[in-house]
Amino acid sequence: MSLEQFSIAVLLTFLAVAAIGIIVLRDLLAAVILTGLYSLIAAGAFVVMDAMDVAFTEAAVGSGISTILFLGALSFTKHDQKPRGNDSWLALLFVVVTGGLLIYGTLDMPPYGSATSPAQTHPQLAKRFIEQSGDEVGPPNIVTSVLASYRGYDTLGETVVVFTAGVAVMGLLGLKRRRPEEELPEHAPGDTPHEPGHDNDRMT
Amino acid sequence: MPDFVLVLLTGLAWVLMLIGCVFVVAGGVGLLRLPDLYTRLHAAGVTDTGSTIFMLLGMVIIALVEYQNPWIAAKLILILFFTLFTTPTCSHALAKIALLSGLVPIDENGKPILASPKLAKKMALSRKPKEGFEADDEGDNSNKDGAS
Amino acid sequence: MFVAAVLALLATMVLTIVRALLGPTLYDRLSAVNSFGTKIMLFIAVFGFLTGRPEFLDIALVYSLINFVATVAVLKFYEYDDLGSGAYQEDDY
Repeated sequence: MSLEQFSIAVLLTFLAVAAIGIIVLRDLLAAVILTGLYSLIAAGAFVVMDAMDVAFTEAAVGSGISTILFLGALSFTKHDQKPRGNDSWLALLFVVVTGGLLIYGTLDMPPYGSATSPAQTHPQLAKRFIEQSGDEVGPPNIVTSVLASYRGYDTLGETVVVFTAGVAVMGLLGLKRRRPEEELPEHAPGDTPHEPGHDNDRMT
Repeated sequence: MPDFVLVLLTGLAWVLMLIGCVFVVAGGVGLLRLPDLYTRLHAAGVTDTGSTIFMLLGMVIIALVEYQNPWIAAKLILILFFTLFTTPTCSHALAKIALLSGLVPIDENGKPILASPKLAKKMALSRKPKEGFEADDEGDNSNKDGAS
Repeated sequence: MFVAAVLALLATMVLTIVRALLGPTLYDRLSAVNSFGTKIMLFIAVFGFLTGRPEFLDIALVYSLINFVATVAVLKFYEYDDLGSGAYQEDDY
């Protein structure tokens, strides 16, 4: 086993351990911290697997922004998880079946690093992208033409999903003010003094 | 560049990387074994910066000697620069907020050095040394297990 | 040399994760996660050299910055129970 495979195996074990920790912990803030840890491990594994772009996204979004979003959501609730009632066996069955189906779906994929995967062995795919994407689409960057034109509908769907999620989060966060008016501090050192009547921007 | 200088520089890089490895493992063991948050913070923070300095300097030498690529060395030095800013800042913020939330540090015998979590909060909010706080105890001795 | 560094970093990551899972207080977990971020950053840099492609150091650079943001955000949240509020209130002094 090469060092690369060993590193991937170790990092994936870390991922499983961190995920179990997130499930077990009752303190939600600690769970958020462990989510950041999970993203760090995942991005490390992506780097070892040569997926630099995914690792970049995971580092910036998973470890940075999503931690902050979780914290913003936590500021509306308590820090402790409610004690769970009886876990239903039906739910466990459903989760196990879904996970089994997902794992079964990955069995069709070519193995990691395979040189005989369809994308590699297709006779014209890479050649056509490299030779003709400049004439067919325009931009000199091949990745851009693949993402925005050849795979355009896929990218459109992703963008719609991200947009919907953003709108939903903004709608949830902007629904009501957090504290009553009179409990708000007058102003903190370094802030601009609080003016009554211009209070709507406090949540932004 | 003469040959023996190259060999010398590569050897220096080896030594630096090995020192960095020792620091990393020592930091991990310290993080696991030390008794108290503040001592663990020492293990984590000091050895993080120490191991980062040694390892990145070793890699800088290798980037310059073996790859002969100054851009890689520049990136490494930039990483070192940012890490030397961010890691101590994080340690400082962690220690200050832990003290502010009433986590009392313990001494070598395992006893808390302050009478109550309230005093720890007061100590975090002031700039006075510790001695000023053992005198003006507010009588709040009910909760002495702040460091457990 | 790089192999030894990778192995040392992986071993230390195990210890750090154990501390992050055990850590009695929140701050223990937070310092462990912060330390883990530094280790992952070093791991990526060392791994780039190990595979002979040190051009991928940019992501280590991103890490050294992101790590800081997350830790300080959690600390600020824990201190003020909010991400939008400012410094201490007047009557704390």
